[in-house]
Amino acid sequence: MSVAVLEVKDVQKVYGKKGESQSHALKGVSLTIEKGEFVGIMGPSGSGKTTLLNVISTLDRPTGGFIQIAGTNITQMKQNQLADFRSQKLGFIFQDFNLLENLSIYENIALPLSLQGVSSKEIGAKVKKVAQTLGIEEILSKYPVQVSGGQKQRAAAARALVHDPAILLADEPTGALDSKNAKSLLETMTDLNENHQVSIMMVTHDAFSASYCKRILFIQDGNLYTEIHRTGDRQQFFKQILDVLAELGASHDVR
Amino acid sequence: MLLKLSLSSMKKMMKDYLVLLVGLVISISIFYMFQTLALNSDFTKGNSVIKSIQIVFNVGAFLLALITIFYIFFANSFLLSLRRKELGMYMVLGAKKGKISQILFLETLTMGIVSLVIGTIVGIALSSGIGVLLMNLLEISADGYYPFYLPSVWMTWGFFMVLFLLTSTINAVRLARATELDLIRAEQQTDDVKAKGFGTVLVAILGVALVAVGYYGLIEIMTLQLLGFLIGAIATTIGTYLLFISLLPVLVQALKRNRKLNDQSLNAFTFAQLRFRVNNLTKILGTVAMLIALGVGAMAGGLAFQKNVDLIANVGHVYDISLHDPVSEDQEALKKMTVLEQNTYSYKVNEDAVYYLKDDLLAHPPLISTNDMQNYDPNKEPERIAEPLPANLYGMNEDKDEKTGQKLEELPDEWYQVISQEFTISYKMYDGKPVRVVDQATFASVKGNEHTVVIAKVDDFLKYKQDIKAMNQRQKEQIKPASEDEEVYLTTKYGTYESVYAFTSGTMFMGFFLGVAFLAMMASCLMFKILSGATRDRDRYSMLRKIGVRKSLLVGSIYKELLFVFLFPALMGLTHVLVGMQMFSFILLEPYVNIWVPTVIFVVIYALYYLITVRLYRGIVLPKEV
Ligand SMILES: Nc1ncnc2c1ncn2[C@@H]1O[C@H](COP(=O)(O)OP(=O)(O)O)[C@@H](O)[C@H]1O
Ligand SMILES: [Mg+2]
Repeated sequence: MSVAVLEVKDVQKVYGKKGESQSHALKGVSLTIEKGEFVGIMGPSGSGKTTLLNVISTLDRPTGGFIQIAGTNITQMKQNQLADFRSQKLGFIFQDFNLLENLSIYENIALPLSLQGVSSKEIGAKVKKVAQTLGIEEILSKYPVQVSGGQKQRAAAARALVHDPAILLADEPTGALDSKNAKSLLETMTDLNENHQVSIMMVTHDAFSASYCKRILFIQDGNLYTEIHRTGDRQQFFKQILDVLAELGASHDVR
Repeated sequence: MLLKLSLSSMKKMMKDYLVLLVGLVISISIFYMFQTLALNSDFTKGNSVIKSIQIVFNVGAFLLALITIFYIFFANSFLLSLRRKELGMYMVLGAKKGKISQILFLETLTMGIVSLVIGTIVGIALSSGIGVLLMNLLEISADGYYPFYLPSVWMTWGFFMVLFLLTSTINAVRLARATELDLIRAEQQTDDVKAKGFGTVLVAILGVALVAVGYYGLIEIMTLQLLGFLIGAIATTIGTYLLFISLLPVLVQALKRNRKLNDQSLNAFTFAQLRFRVNNLTKILGTVAMLIALGVGAMAGGLAFQKNVDLIANVGHVYDISLHDPVSEDQEALKKMTVLEQNTYSYKVNEDAVYYLKDDLLAHPPLISTNDMQNYDPNKEPERIAEPLPANLYGMNEDKDEKTGQKLEELPDEWYQVISQEFTISYKMYDGKPVRVVDQATFASVKGNEHTVVIAKVDDFLKYKQDIKAMNQRQKEQIKPASEDEEVYLTTKYGTYESVYAFTSGTMFMGFFLGVAFLAMMASCLMFKILSGATRDRDRYSMLRKIGVRKSLLVGSIYKELLFVFLFPALMGLTHVLVGMQMFSFILLEPYVNIWVPTVIFVVIYALYYLITVRLYRGIVLPKEV
């Protein structure tokens, strides 16, 4: 059974007004992500990864094309509808500045539920459950400055998942972490994907991070270049990724 | 090179500097206007009315100066803190500290001079517009009043230059003492999220107690006198600060502790922002509360004084009109009025004394006021004198005739009151001669000019204000020859009314401008503080927007948060005013008349500042829409 949580058809994004110097960040990208997939988006810097993530996450509007998430066409929505859509259907993990440092970890995770008007009691139960899944029950009452970078990103993941979004969108989630914390976060994401059926789309330029995905889409100059599936174990997949990157002539991007 | 850098960074912070400049210009221009009113010597010399309110403007200028000192120090240290990082960078890059101090000194000074130039110009405009308006209000001529008056200019420049030099030096010294690392690290402060403990509760209790003691001092000012005022001023001020340091953070924390409320919508974030504000702004919020109390208090005080003018004039005078030897114009004017009571009494003046005819007095005994300022009671009606005068000869303040050695009875109090308050309209008119009340026989034997005094009570004093003013003027001319160049001041009801009216209008006028200046400076301080944290807040709002918080919700959160920040000091300040007005209860008959007027004026101005702050803040923190 395959249900598409995300459908992107011929999406274009042009920055700059007509007549002025325009930059074509996306030149007609199409892709589909099915429920329960863990997809990575890779490409050299400036290739359009963040732009793609932004138009999918409704933070930016595409200039052309069609995007459907969980059966809803988001390209025609109004501002408030988009905001509501984000808060209900999407979960975000950014590279940095995920948590409000003036709120406790608990309050940070509870935010998406509070926004949807969930009762205080129910919020308590849900936050506790997601915190258990991510192994951060101990730090719920602490403030972001009092916990480690890895714990912060786990808390961010918890905040992104607490309201059962259709898809988890992550932009370089390990970018600001050391290798130990990065590894642990990636393992958690794998666990979420495999054991909790969370659909994930992760943008990264780091081959090691990407090797945790099940499928990787490579983009170059705003076009889809190729895609690879993981068939064997992670080490093997890692080598495969490096090969594609070498092909792309972007080997300097690899850590 | 360094100068260029510093200029370009000043340009970047244009908005902050502009806010500072506006506050300074308002303060300087109002200070200047007060100075023109107080110093214009031709103007004040020729005007007995203005003379009496000169003191008011001097007091006003003094208060304004005090607050301005505070404001300049605060604003400058704020701007310095904004630029610490940048200045630290210069040092790291190898610029000498002395050089940077020098530049900072020049910057602060330049800022001061620019605001002085603009402030003086605005002040001249203000004086020629509003100052003249004041004179119309007081019905005094603006002859000899120059909006552009050099001594006032010197006064203003002198005062503010000293102030600016002082702050520039302090800024430079402060910088000289800081190390590079101090400067660079300065901005990396994080929100204080520590819970408030038992100590804070103690401080809160102490604060409440001090405010209570201060209020007690103000309410009991009649018995405590100066001590009451001192206790009131000091205890209330300290108490206010303590309350803002302790009670407010505890209150916000209590809000946050309420799970249900905190989990609702964006409340957790709004409260967290608020918590940061009240922890970060304690001192300034306390100051704002005190300034509001001062500003609104000055306005309310002036207004209350003004509204009490009739009452004050009425206490000393039952009769609206006192005329000595009225001329035909006076009679004409009297005929046009609705006169409730009119009495005529004869008196003679010779070289020795003034003689009133006893039989005249007894035939038409006048009314006397039974009220006095200390124990005013609006229900006390004037009473007719019933005191008989059995003796033949009465004296006021003399027990025997100096020449003849004849013994004089002491005039009973009630009659004494009438003659001194209603008949005697100027201390000049009898040339210092003693006043006696004598029987018909003595009166007939006195060789001297016979005069009459007419006292009249009309239905509405204010209705005939212009006519009575003209009568007063004619009386003045009569007395004038006795005192050539000096202005004659009459203690008739109108004379009292006029001077009290001028004094109180002056106070109100000053209170209003003082209030505006206070509010402007205070709101700038608040705005500075709030805006200085705005860049950090921007990340927060952009993240919230990304995870799907509706813009309207974010805007609502800003309105709510800043409303609380503005509301607390306003409530505190207004309470201070309400209690503080008690202070005037021993000079004012009804201190609370029209208290709503200054309150409304304050609320309007304050609300405007609130809205402007919200606007500016929104513009900075809310992400642009796609
Ligand atoms: N706001 C913008 N305005 C103009 N051009 C932009 C903007 N954002 C991105 N671009 C351009 O679009 C291209 C893709 O950028 P981006 O999606 O950020 O790449 P990546 O995330 O893969 O590094 C780049 O050439 C970049 O210069
Ligand atoms: Mg990017």
